[in-house]
Amino acid sequence: MKYSEIIKLNNSLEEKIQGAEYNISILSNIMVHQSKDVCEWLLRTESLNAKVTLGEYDNIVQDSKKFQSSDAVVIFWEACNFIDGLQYKVDVSSENDFNNIVDKVKLEIDIVLAALNQTSTVVINRFSSLIFDQYNLSKGNLKRLVDILNSYLEGSVGKNVNLFDIDGVISRLSIKSATDLRYYYSSKTLYSIDFYREYFEQIKLIFLAKTGNIKKALIFDCDNTLWRGTLGEDGFNGIKMFQEIQYLALNLAKRGVIIGLCSKNNPEDVENVLKNHPDMILKNDDIIIKMINWDNKVKNLNSIAEDLNIGLESLVFIDDSSFEIGLVKKELPAIKTFQVPLKEYEYRLMLKKVSNLFYNPFKTEEDSFKTQIYKDQRKRTKEKNKEVDLESYLVSLGMSLTIDIDDLKQVSRISQLTQKTNQFNLTTRRYSESDIESFILDSSKIVLSVAVNDKYGSSGLTALAILCLKSSEIETFLLSCRILGRNIEYKFIDIIIDIAKQNNVKVLKASFIKTQKNSQVMDFYRECKFDMIEKTIDSSIYSVDINSFKYKNIKYIEVEDGK
Amino acid sequence: MESRIKKVISNVFDIDVESINNMTSPDNVENWDSLKHMNLIVALEEEFEIEFDAQEIVDSMNYALIVSIVNERY
Repeated sequence: MKYSEIIKLNNSLEEKIQGAEYNISILSNIMVHQSKDVCEWLLRTESLNAKVTLGEYDNIVQDSKKFQSSDAVVIFWEACNFIDGLQYKVDVSSENDFNNIVDKVKLEIDIVLAALNQTSTVVINRFSSLIFDQYNLSKGNLKRLVDILNSYLEGSVGKNVNLFDIDGVISRLSIKSATDLRYYYSSKTLYSIDFYREYFEQIKLIFLAKTGNIKKALIFDCDNTLWRGTLGEDGFNGIKMFQEIQYLALNLAKRGVIIGLCSKNNPEDVENVLKNHPDMILKNDDIIIKMINWDNKVKNLNSIAEDLNIGLESLVFIDDSSFEIGLVKKELPAIKTFQVPLKEYEYRLMLKKVSNLFYNPFKTEEDSFKTQIYKDQRKRTKEKNKEVDLESYLVSLGMSLTIDIDDLKQVSRISQLTQKTNQFNLTTRRYSESDIESFILDSSKIVLSVAVNDKYGSSGLTALAILCLKSSEIETFLLSCRILGRNIEYKFIDIIIDIAKQNNVKVLKASFIKTQKNSQVMDFYRECKFDMIEKTIDSSIYSVDINSFKYKNIKYIEVEDGK
Repeated sequence: MESRIKKVISNVFDIDVESINNMTSPDNVENWDSLKHMNLIVALEEEFEIEFDAQEIVDSMNYALIVSIVNERY
C-alpha cells in the first residue's frame, strides 16, 4: 500500500470507526510526523479506534508530562540528535564532554520515566547507533554511548514500559530503505514510510494485546502442516516431521497459548503418531484440543471455539490447503488464517510472525500453567457431556472458591483479567497494574479476587469484583470464560452482598455496560433480583436493598478465605 | 501522469481531485502546511520512484510546478 493511499484510507476509516478512542502520543527528538497516518491506519484496520497525537519536535521531557494520561506513549529518542550533529561530533569529544552527555540523558530518562509511571502503556525504542555506525571496524563512541544508556534504561523502566529493539526493524528493511538521510540533513526526518509500516506492524500488537484484542488459540492442520506428507497415504513411516515448526508451537504452548489440531484423518492414526512417532515434538500433553475426523473444518473450528469457550476471533488457523483456507476465510471470517508457504524455509518465518499475534505483555506465572488449566476445563466439559443432569454434575465437581481481598501480590493477574475478559464482563473497564495497585491501597475500594478449585485442580485467579464504598457500587464484575456455566457468578454475588453489608452499605448499585461481546450478561443483575433503575441503549443501572436481598445460597460451592 | 499526481495530492490533503488546478497551492489548500508538504513530497517520490533534490522540494509550491518537476525526473 502506498503512503498516499494509506492517508486516504485512514481518513475514511476515521469517519467509520466506532468504539472508545485509544489515544496514542508519539514523542520524539526527531521529526516523525509521517508516523501518524501509518500508525492510525494499521490499528484502525484492526478495529481499534486509535488517535495519534504528535509531541513537539525535540521536546520529550516536557511532553512526557503533558501526555502522561494518554492510553499509550511511544518514544523515538535518537542518539544522533541528543545534541545537534552528535553522530559526527561524538568521536572527537573529550571524555568529560562524553560523560556530560551521558549524565544529561540519564537525568532526562529519570524525569520521563517518572512522568510516565502511571501511563498504562509506554513503548520506548532502545537507543541505536546502527544507522550511523555501519562502517565502523571498531566500537565507536556513539555505540559506546547507546550501550551505556540502554543498560541504564533497562535498569530503570517499570512494568508498563516495553523497550523495543528498533534495530530489528531497520535490519529487516536494510538501513538504506529504512532511512532517508537526505531528509535527516534537511529537516531531521530520519525514517522512511517503509520503516513506519514495518515498525507499527510490529508494535501494534502491544496495543492490541492491551485492549483485549488478543489471540488465544493456534489450530494446526496435520498433513503437510505439522509434517511433510499425508498420513493416510504415506503411512506412519512415510511422513517427515517439521521439527522447527513443532518446536515453535511447543514454545507457544509453554507460554500459555492453546495449541489445537483440526485435521481430516482417522483419529486413531493421528493418535498413534502423537504417542509413538519418535520424531514428533508436540505430544498429547501440549495439545489442548483435537478435532480429527472427516467433517468439514468450519464445523470443527466452531466446535473448538465452543469447547474452549472462547470467541472465533481468538482463533488462528494454519493449513496447507488453499481450499480449506478459502472455506474458513469465507464462512468464518473472524478467524485469522494462514496458509503454509510452498517453500519450506519460509514456513518458519511465517510462524515466527504468527507467534507475535499471541504477544502477551503481562506474562504471569499463571500463563505457564494455562495449558494445564485448559486441559482441566476440557475434562470438565467432557464430563458435562456425559452427565445430563447439570445440577448433580456441578455437585460432583466439589467446587470451592478462594477469596482474596486487596491482595497486592495479585496485581499483575488482576490487571490482566480486566484487560482480557470480554464475555462475562459487566462493565468492561480495563485497568493497568498501577490502577489496580491504587484501588487496593484505597480504603474506599475493595478488590475481590477469586480462585476456583474443584476435583480437577485449581483454575487460578479467574473472577474479580471491584467495589466502591464511596458510591456504594459494584464497579467491576467479571468472570473468566474458563469458569462459566457453573453458577459461580451467583455465589460470588452472595459474597459481595455480605461484604457490602459488613461495610455498612444499605443500597448497592451495579451497572451493565454493553459491548460487542458481553451480551450474555445483559440480564445478569436482573437474574440476581436487582431492580433496574435506569436504562439506555448501551447500559442499564441497577440497585438492590442489601437487607432484603434474596441469597441464592448455592450449597455445592464452598467458600474459603485466601491467605 | 497528471491524474496520478492529482490523486496523490487529493489523498495527502484530503481534497477532491476535481478541485485541483494549476493554481492549487498552500495559499488555497487549508491543509497544506510545511509538515504536510513533506508528506506530499514523500508520497510523490514513492508514487513515481523518483527523488526530489533540496531545491525542487522548496520549489514544488503549486500544482503546475509539481507537474513540471515530476515531468523532468520521471
